[in-house]
Amino acid sequence: MTASLLWKRIWRHKIFYLFMLPGVIWFFLFSYVPLYGIQVAFRDFRFTGGFTGSPWAGLKYFHQFFDYYQSKEIIRNTILISGMKLCIGFLTPIVLAILLNEVRNVAFKKTVQTLSYLPYFVSWVVVVTLMQRLLSQYGGPVNNFLESIGLVNEPIQFLNNTSWFYQMIIGSDIWKNIGWNSIIYIAAIAGIDQQQYEAAKIDGAGRFKQIWHITLPGIRNIAVILFILATGSLMSAGYEQLLLLNGPATASIGSVLDVHVINAGIGSGRLSYAAAVGLFQSVIALILILTVNRVARKVSDVSLF
Amino acid sequence: MWNKKRTTVSSMVALTLVGGMLAGCSDNGNNGGSAGNAGNGGNTSTNNGGSSETASNKEVTIKILHNWNGSGAGDVDMTPIANAIKEKTGVTVKFDYTKGSEVEKVNTIFATQDLPDVYTGPAWGGELDGIIKAANEDQLVDISDKLDKYPNLAKEIAKENVPPALYDKAIGAFGDKKYMLYQNQPASEKDANDWLYGFYVRKDIAGKIGIDPQSVHTKDDLYNFLKKIKDANLQENGMPVFPLGGFSNGWAVGIGNTMFYGSDYIDKGDGTLEHTFMSKQYEDYTLYYRKLISEGLLDPETFTQTDPIAKEKINQGRIAVLAAHYPAILDASKDYVKAHPGTDFVPVGPLERAGAEENRPVDLGIQGNNVTVITKKNKNVDASLKLLDFLASDEGFKLVHYGVEGVHYDMVDGKPVAKKDFFDKFNADATGKAKKNEGFGIGFESMTGLDRTNTLGGDIWADQERIAAMDNARKILRPNGISVISAYAPGDVLAKSPEYESLKPSMDQIGDVWKQAVFAKSDEAALKIINDLRNQMKKTGYEDAMKYTNENLKGKEVVTLQMPN
Repeated sequence: MTASLLWKRIWRHKIFYLFMLPGVIWFFLFSYVPLYGIQVAFRDFRFTGGFTGSPWAGLKYFHQFFDYYQSKEIIRNTILISGMKLCIGFLTPIVLAILLNEVRNVAFKKTVQTLSYLPYFVSWVVVVTLMQRLLSQYGGPVNNFLESIGLVNEPIQFLNNTSWFYQMIIGSDIWKNIGWNSIIYIAAIAGIDQQQYEAAKIDGAGRFKQIWHITLPGIRNIAVILFILATGSLMSAGYEQLLLLNGPATASIGSVLDVHVINAGIGSGRLSYAAAVGLFQSVIALILILTVNRVARKVSDVSLF
Repeated sequence: MWNKKRTTVSSMVALTLVGGMLAGCSDNGNNGGSAGNAGNGGNTSTNNGGSSETASNKEVTIKILHNWNGSGAGDVDMTPIANAIKEKTGVTVKFDYTKGSEVEKVNTIFATQDLPDVYTGPAWGGELDGIIKAANEDQLVDISDKLDKYPNLAKEIAKENVPPALYDKAIGAFGDKKYMLYQNQPASEKDANDWLYGFYVRKDIAGKIGIDPQSVHTKDDLYNFLKKIKDANLQENGMPVFPLGGFSNGWAVGIGNTMFYGSDYIDKGDGTLEHTFMSKQYEDYTLYYRKLISEGLLDPETFTQTDPIAKEKINQGRIAVLAAHYPAILDASKDYVKAHPGTDFVPVGPLERAGAEENRPVDLGIQGNNVTVITKKNKNVDASLKLLDFLASDEGFKLVHYGVEGVHYDMVDGKPVAKKDFFDKFNADATGKAKKNEGFGIGFESMTGLDRTNTLGGDIWADQERIAAMDNARKILRPNGISVISAYAPGDVLAKSPEYESLKPSMDQIGDVWKQAVFAKSDEAALKIINDLRNQMKKTGYEDAMKYTNENLKGKEVVTLQMPN
């Protein structure tokens, strides 16, 4: 299509383009304009100089990060925690969506669905406070229950304990997000042609075979797209949750990049350093998305772009 | 026709959306501006046209950030004290308060340029570093050429009234320029305020285990004392009683450090100093606390709990020994003690002090507690200085601390005496709101210049039981009295070393690393955590920075013994 034809088409549908304009402006203002702030990572940020007037510092802050004695540990922790969240947290909404699809009682199905996505709206501060109260080894109801049924002799220290840290982090993340993340899969399943199920039933396929041969292939494309997007957050383990749930007892396995950036930037006023670490996170995320997208395109013909 | 109408309506809706969004965006910008203006007194900038010279006789509004976590306003907009200040100075004060970390707040306001007209906040940690950075980067108003008009302010920062190292580091560090005011340093020895930091045990629990708290002196005594409490298996409402606990984020369970080392910097033995973190004493201190944690003597939640949770534990009677300053303990345990007579907290010790002779008075690092600055956003510098000078006068000091004469207090034989109705009202109100609604404790105290509480009449609002408890604790914990430190703090000198910028991020980790080491699985693991940071400090310039510090402190009196205050 030539440029003049394109402009003619745009002009013909100008009203619709006008409706699109607020979104375009929003993205431009809040996603592209702030990109110029990236240069802070390469400057010695000064209040008076601002983003553009501060002196150049080259790669000083990147060097500082990689020279930092805990940087490897922090990167490792970040990848490990978000890797676990990616693997487990990615699969569980699919499982929930499939299970809900198999429920025939509509009222029960709706109730479970509503209850499962309500935690998504609860702030991490509240979630962590609830966890502290429920899981406390000093009079927490969970430990009391486990003791009362004779499952444990001594109360378990669920929090501030390296042995239980990952379980708590991943478990609470799943609890909070499973319902919300499953919505898109439920929608995808709803879009599958019911005749396929009927045909499968006639051919003698049971529930599991129907799931395996119809439901899963039906949501495969959506799952691949969401997986590609999720890989982008591999360098970001979630700052709110880790900031609140990680403590001195678990710092060796719970210190992650997001919290490190917040502490360095706001806590210590090292804005350039924080920007450098943040940029490092973003660059790795971009590389991951591009790589996974390419692999997905080759393997499954499904990709973002 | 219909299509035309539809097109027109659609266009209008779209334009409204775009326009609304753009207006929203521009509002953001304006908000920043208007916030700034409001901060400078909405009426002010209009009245004065931004002139900083004409404010003195006009009514202005000054926005002050009181950067002190835990401070806050009462339930009324204008308090009687704030009204009296307005009458005297023409200035209406609008306070903004900090709810989170003070250091983060300093960094945030300068980074985002969301600046108050006047900033007042702590002057002992990273906050001061942030303020010095702001001064260096031309974010603060130089008041040096105005001080001759404001004698009370000039007195606050006169060289003889500010601890020497702090003067060198902050007040007088900018040549002829002066950016900072400094407050609440005692005007005389009599005004020195000892907060009585220490370990305090519940009297009934000490009785139950049969140990006299005053017989606890050494590290081993304290350990055995806590162990005995643990072994007694005490329960409150079916929940175990922790032998040792503290307030939010572990404040201030670490004060047992004074049994291991004298101050943050110690003599290596050859007359030169090193940071205590590098010493064997620091390792001993860490391993001692590791033992407390691993044996269940120290509440493991203490380093991660919030203040409400800490206070809940105290109010449930679940803490046997509390570490903090005494006023905080008295306030936190007030309700529980009222409901359970005989459960009041009493001092443990006095405990041994590393390197101090037995009859040495307690060395208190009283260096004042507030630095106040005027930011470049302030359009009413003179009005702000007039306000601050009034607050720092005797009249202002008395107004802020005692209230309005004839309303809140009367002068009897030259001394202020609280009015009984207010005294009773304040003491009956555990929330503290009654006092705040009158204008006490909402931030003005932080700007009243040299501390003259005792010189001008004492704390007239303290109840007799509290005074008696404080006096009793003082007799026990300070048998040889107190001494106010006037020597150089090596940390202030180190902060001026060329290596400080690269070293600071490592040194900022010391507190966190100590906590991690305390929770380590073994002594070896704890020492490894410490050694890793030591190496990082060395890598980032520690040795050169200490060399600089030692050279600059040659021949000067240096703080090597200090108790928390």
